[in-house]
Amino acid sequence: MIQPHDSVIVRTFGHIVIPVAQLFGVYVLMFGQYGPGGGFVGGVVIAGSMIMAILIFGIESEDSVLARKILHGDGVGLLIFGGVGGLCLIGGGEFLNYSHLSIPGLDETSRHQVGILLTQVGVAVDVAVTGVSIAISLSFEEDEISQDEVTD
Amino acid sequence: MSSHLPILLFLVPFFMGVSMPILTAKRPALCPDITLGTVIVMVIVAILNLRFVLTQGPIEYALGGWTAPLGIAWLNDSIAALIALTISVVSLITIVYGRVVVTTGLEKSVPYYTLILIMMSGLVGLIFAADLFNVFVFLEVAALTGYALVAASGGKALVYAFRYLLLGSFGATLYLLGLSHLYVATGTLNMADLSDRLPELMTSTAVAAGLIYIFLGLSIKMALIPLHSWLPDAYANAPSSVTPFLASTVTKVALVAWVRIEYSLITPTVEVSAVPVLVLLEELGVIAALVGGALALIQTDLKRMFAYGGVSHIGLILIGVSLGNDTGFAGGMFYLINDAIMQAALFMIAGAILHYHNASTLDDVRGLGHVTSPWLTASLIVVAIAMVGLPPTGGFFGKWNIILGALEAEHYVAVFAVVGSTLLTFGYFLKVFANWFHQPQAVEVKTIEVARELRFSLGMASFAIIALGLMSDTVVQYLLESVSRGGI
Repeated sequence: MIQPHDSVIVRTFGHIVIPVAQLFGVYVLMFGQYGPGGGFVGGVVIAGSMIMAILIFGIESEDSVLARKILHGDGVGLLIFGGVGGLCLIGGGEFLNYSHLSIPGLDETSRHQVGILLTQVGVAVDVAVTGVSIAISLSFEEDEISQDEVTD
Repeated sequence: MSSHLPILLFLVPFFMGVSMPILTAKRPALCPDITLGTVIVMVIVAILNLRFVLTQGPIEYALGGWTAPLGIAWLNDSIAALIALTISVVSLITIVYGRVVVTTGLEKSVPYYTLILIMMSGLVGLIFAADLFNVFVFLEVAALTGYALVAASGGKALVYAFRYLLLGSFGATLYLLGLSHLYVATGTLNMADLSDRLPELMTSTAVAAGLIYIFLGLSIKMALIPLHSWLPDAYANAPSSVTPFLASTVTKVALVAWVRIEYSLITPTVEVSAVPVLVLLEELGVIAALVGGALALIQTDLKRMFAYGGVSHIGLILIGVSLGNDTGFAGGMFYLINDAIMQAALFMIAGAILHYHNASTLDDVRGLGHVTSPWLTASLIVVAIAMVGLPPTGGFFGKWNIILGALEAEHYVAVFAVVGSTLLTFGYFLKVFANWFHQPQAVEVKTIEVARELRFSLGMASFAIIALGLMSDTVVQYLLESVSRGGI
């Protein structure tokens, strides 16, 4: 079980760094089309910020509420990815052929941009969820088992 | 729209599997029904796809609209369509069976049904993939869900699932290593491109090593002797409800992936250090067929016996596809389709005996023929006939074509192996039946009634085995067509 950290320096530092890290993760995700970055990297940065929140404030704290909530979103990223592909299929193209993305009011260039951005959002959500759930299962599983043995 | 059928076949189980936790958040009792509905849709899509391929010929599906050298292609030919239909039908039969023979704790388990559906999507992707890296990805999707399914009931199965995981991951790593060798040597991963560029590079040690790594990796996945050791323990201890599905799909589809690679990359003239590669593969198949049959003969546990039977049939199929002629190839692929259904039927029978009579070894089934439901006895007889290979079941025509191919290629060792493994199969089924129809142990004789769903599954499997035998000419013709067009 990870305990909340006592040090004032660490907690203050966490309050400053975690929002910046999350903002940077979204930035990397959004600007993956124009430079280095994209869904995977953005997702890893977001997951890192949430794992940091768990390590500093503990899983029960109000500050790591996002890390608790996002665990329910397992599979949403896959649904976003598959849904974009499905919209392309409905539009008459191949799976993930963004030229046929059936969102009204977009010309072909914007369709490509929206399509790739949405699939990257899907990838980022899935990477972030996976990262947080790995961290949680590695750090909390054993305590639960030992508690079960005690009650038995 | 009909050219999109392969991707639909992939997306249906994928979407339903991923959204299963959301759909059943309030009512977990809906899981089996949603899974069943999904599989029924898959069967319909697979039938439509087969019809489309048979009328329109093989097509390449370019994902994202990017055609093959740049993008990722899926190949939808008659072999892929037939195997996809087989997998869908086997899934339907085993899911219906899984509604009766459920392991405690898994009846309404959302992760369990999610894993089954995601595994189906992985298998479909593996069948259609025409790109070595895509094969790797789907191989891992199918394998990772497979490890989790073997371990689903917990207990002793966890140990065997962990061993399966270690060996399977080792196989996947070897495959990835071999793939990178080929990529460095040729600069492409598309199978059609590779088959153009590889023949002149066959003298290179890097390419030969790459192909060997790929074969070793896939032979762990397909449980080719001597790399089969994970399979019998994993299948004997996995939950009864899912073993038929695992046994009939995972190893067969890994073999299909190898067949695609072998057929497009290794022609009969390919030699490495003066050893013809196809003959080498065929000899490996001979060993697997004979040793697998002999190991099955000495088992006392029914599930382990049937698992070794499946291992020996992997060898038979490998013989068929490595003979280097069309007859043997079509025979091997036809036998693969049959074997998927036979394995499903065998493990369903073993699971049902365990469920109704709590019998798992040969001694336990003594005299069971007098007390058990006639449905179980009849389907066991049909499957035994097919496993041994007597007409009019599909098993006979598969073996017949493999033997014809072997005679055509003048490889008499292969003929001997097919006949020898037939005799061994006959031997272990003789052991089963000698116990099955033995004098009953108990004095009072009361027959039991099996559930309606189980009758449907066993009936469908037996019907499919006989129907495949009666339609063997047509099916073999479709397979040959795909070969002669150079489709695969």
